[in-house]
Amino acid sequence: MTQYAENQQVTLIDALDKVIEKGAVVVGDLTVRVADVDLIYVGLKLIATSISKAEELSGRSIINPSREPTAAELEHVRRLEQEIEKAEKNISTLIDVAKPKETEQGLAKLVLTLVVLIKRLMERETMRRIQKGSLANIEIQKLGLTYMALDKKIEQLKLIFGLQDEDLNLELGPLGNLM
Amino acid sequence: MCKSLLGENKTTGALKVNGLYLYCIREKAQQKITTEGIDGKSKVFLFPYQDLEAVVSEVPLEEFDSEEIQQKAQEDLNWIKEKSQLHEAVVEEAMRSNGNTSAVIPMTFGTIFKSREKIQRTVAEHYSEFENLLTFLQGKQEWGVKVYLSNRKALEEIIKNNDNVKATQEKISVMPKGMAYFFEKQMAEQISSEISREIEIYTQEIFLALTKHAQTGIKGKILDKELTGKCEPMVLNAIYLIQTRDVEHFKKEINRLSREMDQKGFQFEYSGPWPPYNFTKLEEYDSIC
Repeated sequence: MTQYAENQQVTLIDALDKVIEKGAVVVGDLTVRVADVDLIYVGLKLIATSISKAEELSGRSIINPSREPTAAELEHVRRLEQEIEKAEKNISTLIDVAKPKETEQGLAKLVLTLVVLIKRLMERETMRRIQKGSLANIEIQKLGLTYMALDKKIEQLKLIFGLQDEDLNLELGPLGNLM
Repeated sequence: MCKSLLGENKTTGALKVNGLYLYCIREKAQQKITTEGIDGKSKVFLFPYQDLEAVVSEVPLEEFDSEEIQQKAQEDLNWIKEKSQLHEAVVEEAMRSNGNTSAVIPMTFGTIFKSREKIQRTVAEHYSEFENLLTFLQGKQEWGVKVYLSNRKALEEIIKNNDNVKATQEKISVMPKGMAYFFEKQMAEQISSEISREIEIYTQEIFLALTKHAQTGIKGKILDKELTGKCEPMVLNAIYLIQTRDVEHFKKEINRLSREMDQKGFQFEYSGPWPPYNFTKLEEYDSIC
């Protein structure tokens, strides 16, 4: 807890708050009318707001096109390359014309994986839109139910093709694990 | 001493007329004020009327009546800053004469009179009002108490432990993923609005506990972080008029509340005594006298 010394210099905000807004009013021959104290506060806040904060607020930022990539960014790129490699190998083992039953399952696995992937992406977009406030409650409700229905359908297909959650649990680099 | 100060001076051939800027009214104390006036150079002097005196200083009328000044008062933050602090400094000194605080009626910023006659007439007009107000303010001080919330987490923990929130959390844990997101979001908002409600309850509790030790109390504006220069948000800005003999009790009560509320994340700051800027309308306090 802090206490001002009894004769400490008056802070600006205290002076503004009291002198401009409060105090007794008598009619003089001449009145120097000061701006509304709320407007003064807005002005002071603008001064107090640093440039970087202002940029943050306006959604702008300084972009340096030739800056060095960070370690996290390099790792991200490396993992993406790995995933593409893995996917190329998987396709040849999943689809084998000599084994029709297994090929069917492999195809179902790929399609389902794709469906789940798309659903995930749509969910993310929905979350973004909810955060932005560009969806009505009923739309949110409908989307929630849509995702639930989609989950049910995926569940059915998994049963038909004898697939487990783990089978669809591919690591998708930047999207993380699907399931 | 003031006779020669007011009137017309011939400078560079043009007539320069001075006006009087009014800072405050007090009972005759006859103690001189050394702080400089609103223009940053003129002497502050006392203009007596019966048992009262007006604390005034000269200002060049032409300058203060100009478009330039009126515009500065609207737009120039530096000008407003400087002038409001000069005004306050004079009122402070007028209040603190003789090493004690004495009753003053602080005026709002920017009241200027064209002549001694005009100021005399105005004081005469308001004489009984000023007298009554000074009698009421006698032996009382204005103090400010600001409360900040230093730790929102502490309140959040309390709320997260309440049965409603726990039940919602259990419900969400069994929801399908897509749906659960929306409910989690909803719950986060619910928690945050409950925190606001808790803050409201606690600050009201603090406000009332301190009002018990005061003649009267009011709630002022909550100021933003940019203005207070603090990381913690302000949650209460209370102003009290306190009997001088109760000030020590009042401070003790702040200390007690501060200890009690510390765990919940509330921080206290108090200041005073101030000129009673917030308590200059007598009719509003008639009932309390």
